[in-house]
Amino acid sequence: MAKQTIKVKINGREREASVEPRLLLVHLIRESLGQTGTHIGCDTSNCGACTVMLNGKTIKSCTMFAVQADGGELMTVEGLIQNGQWHPLQEGFKEEHGLQCGFCTPGMLMSSYALLQKNPNPTEEDIRWGISGNLCRCTGYQNIVKAVQFAAKKMAQGGTK
Amino acid sequence: MFKTTPEVGGMGHSVKRKEDSRFIQGRGNYVDDVNLPRMVFGHMVRSPYAHARLKKIDISKAMALPGVLAVITGEDLAKAGLAWMPTLSGDKQMVLATGKVLFQAQEVAFVVAEDRYVAADAAELVEVDYEELPVLVDPKKAMDKGAPLLREDREQKDNHIFHWEVGDKQGTEKAFAAAPVKVSLDAFFQRCHPAPLETCGCVADYNTATSKLTVYLTSQAPHAHRTLFSLVGNIPEQNIRIISPDIGGGFGNKVPIYPGYVCAVVASLTTGLPVKWIETRSENLMSTGFARDYHMTAEVAANKDGKMTALRVKTLADHGAFNAAAQPTKFPAGLFSICSGSYDLPTAFCEVDGVYTNKAPGGIAYRCSFRVTEAAYLIERVVDVLADELKMDAAEIREKNFIPANAFPYKSPLGWEYDSGNYQDNLKVALDKIGYKDLLKEQAEKRKGRVHGHWHLHVHGNRGRGPGAYLRHCRHQDV
Repeated sequence: MAKQTIKVKINGREREASVEPRLLLVHLIRESLGQTGTHIGCDTSNCGACTVMLNGKTIKSCTMFAVQADGGELMTVEGLIQNGQWHPLQEGFKEEHGLQCGFCTPGMLMSSYALLQKNPNPTEEDIRWGISGNLCRCTGYQNIVKAVQFAAKKMAQGGTK
Repeated sequence: MFKTTPEVGGMGHSVKRKEDSRFIQGRGNYVDDVNLPRMVFGHMVRSPYAHARLKKIDISKAMALPGVLAVITGEDLAKAGLAWMPTLSGDKQMVLATGKVLFQAQEVAFVVAEDRYVAADAAELVEVDYEELPVLVDPKKAMDKGAPLLREDREQKDNHIFHWEVGDKQGTEKAFAAAPVKVSLDAFFQRCHPAPLETCGCVADYNTATSKLTVYLTSQAPHAHRTLFSLVGNIPEQNIRIISPDIGGGFGNKVPIYPGYVCAVVASLTTGLPVKWIETRSENLMSTGFARDYHMTAEVAANKDGKMTALRVKTLADHGAFNAAAQPTKFPAGLFSICSGSYDLPTAFCEVDGVYTNKAPGGIAYRCSFRVTEAAYLIERVVDVLADELKMDAAEIREKNFIPANAFPYKSPLGWEYDSGNYQDNLKVALDKIGYKDLLKEQAEKRKGRVHGHWHLHVHGNRGRGPGAYLRHCRHQDV
C-alpha cells in the first residue's frame, strides 16, 4: 500500500513518519515513534487504554488513523513528566494506590489530565464522569478517584498545571 | 492491633509498590512492548462455525501476498505430531484444527508475515471449506441420545467428561426421607469471561545457534507453560526460558495455554525468526478460557424450626469443547465441595458431571475462586429459599444453622476441616453495625408499593491463601 509522510509533534518533539493510510494512530505512537506507554486493550474505543491528547483533546488512538493526526500535536503518558518532575496525577496514582496491573493507567492518567485542565476542582461525580471512558479491571475505580482528588488538591496548593 | 514502628515498617503501615513508578510514567514492559530485531508477526485464522468438518484449506492466495512468510495449518502440525496439546486438566486440545472445528473462533491456521497488517490481510485470504455439523450448545442436552458427538478423538463415544461425587449419598437420602421440610433450587451461574485489559499474546524467539527457546508470554503460570512447551515441542526444559514480563491483568485467563502461543513457537522454530502474536479483543473474548457455567440444583432437608438436616447438590458443568480447566486442585470440580458453606449440616452429598459443548474451553478459575464462588452462591440462595418457605428471617435462619463456635475444629460433611471460627458472633456484630432491625422496618415500609430487598452472603472461602470466612450484607434499594 502506498505510503505517505506525516508530521506530528509528540510530547514536544517534532517527528516525521512514512505510513500507510490505514495505519492506526496507536500503532504510529507505539511502533513508529516507540512510545509504548500507550496501550491497546479493546481495539474498539471501549476501554480507553489508548487514550492520548491530540491538539488538546483526549482521543482514543486505537480508532483513529495516523494520517488524521498529520500536523497535530500529541501528548501521551510519557509527556506528563516535566523537567524530571512527576505530574501531581502521577504522584496521586502512586500515593493512593490507583493501579494494580498498570495497563489502564496511561489512559486513566490522560483522561484525568484532560479533566483537571477543564475542571481543576472536580467533585467525585465529575471525576467518575471524567474517567467514564476508561475501564480498569483491577481496582474497582475507588482509588483512581482518590488519586485524582489527591492531584487536584496538590495542584490547587502548588499552582501546577 | 500490633503495629511496628515507622522505621521498621511492615505490619500496620501502607507500603508503596515498587512497580508503580514505571507504570505511571509509561515505562511498563508488557508483552506487546517487546520488540526484537527481525521480529515477524503471527495472525490466527479462526472458524466462523461452532461445529463443522474441515473439508479443505487453500493457502495459495495468502502465501502469494508479498511479506507473507508462512501459513501453518493443522495438517502441517500433525506431520510433526504437534496438532494436539495436553491441557492442564488431563484432556487434550487442538492447537490448529484437524478433521473438524468444535467452537466458533477455534484456531484453524496461523499466518506469519513481516508486518502485523499484512499478517491480518493474509489471514483473510486463507480459504477454508467447511461442512456445517449440528451444534450442541445446551449442556443439558449433551448426554441425550442422538446428541451430536463432539469429540471423535476420544475412545469414549459420548460427550461426558467426568463424574465426581463426594459425601454420604445414602445417609443424605435417608435424611431427606425423614425430613418434614424440603426445598430445592435450580441455579445457573452463567459463563463469564475474565477479560483482562491486556489480551493474551507472546513473542517466541528460537535461537538457531544455541537451540534455546525464549518466550515472552502473558503467563500467570510460566513454570507450567515451560513444561508444556517442552512436552509439545520435544525441547528439554532447560533449553526453554519463559519470561512473564508485566502482565496487564490475568484473573485466571492467563493460566491456560493457548494455541496462539504454541503456533508462535512453531513459527519461530520454522522461520528462525522471533515471532510476535497478540490477540485482538474479539479473539480474546471468543476463544480464551471462560469461567463458571455451572447448572446447579441444591436441595435442603430441614426440621420445621429451620434447622437444616441435609444438603444434596447436583451440578452439570459446561466445559466447552476441550476440558482446559486451569486450577490447582486434584478435583475436577475444584473446591466446589465447600458448598455446605458455614452451616452445620449433619450430612450432605454433592455430585458434578462435566460435559462437552460447542463452546470455547471453560472452567478456568476466575479470580482464583476454584468454584468457591459458585458454591457460596448456591448455598446462600438455597438457605434464603428455605427461609422463605418457613417464613423465617434470613439472619435468624443463618444463626440457627451456623457451625457453633465450640464445634471447631469442625469436619464438614463434604470432607473439609474448618480450623476455627465464630460465625454467630460475626453475624451479630455485622447486623448491629448495619442496624439490621431498622433496615427490616424500612424494608417493610418501602414494600408498600415498591420492591426493596437485601441479601446475605456468608462466604466460606478456601482460596490460594487458605480457608476463611467473611460476611457481606448488601441492600438493594428502590428496585
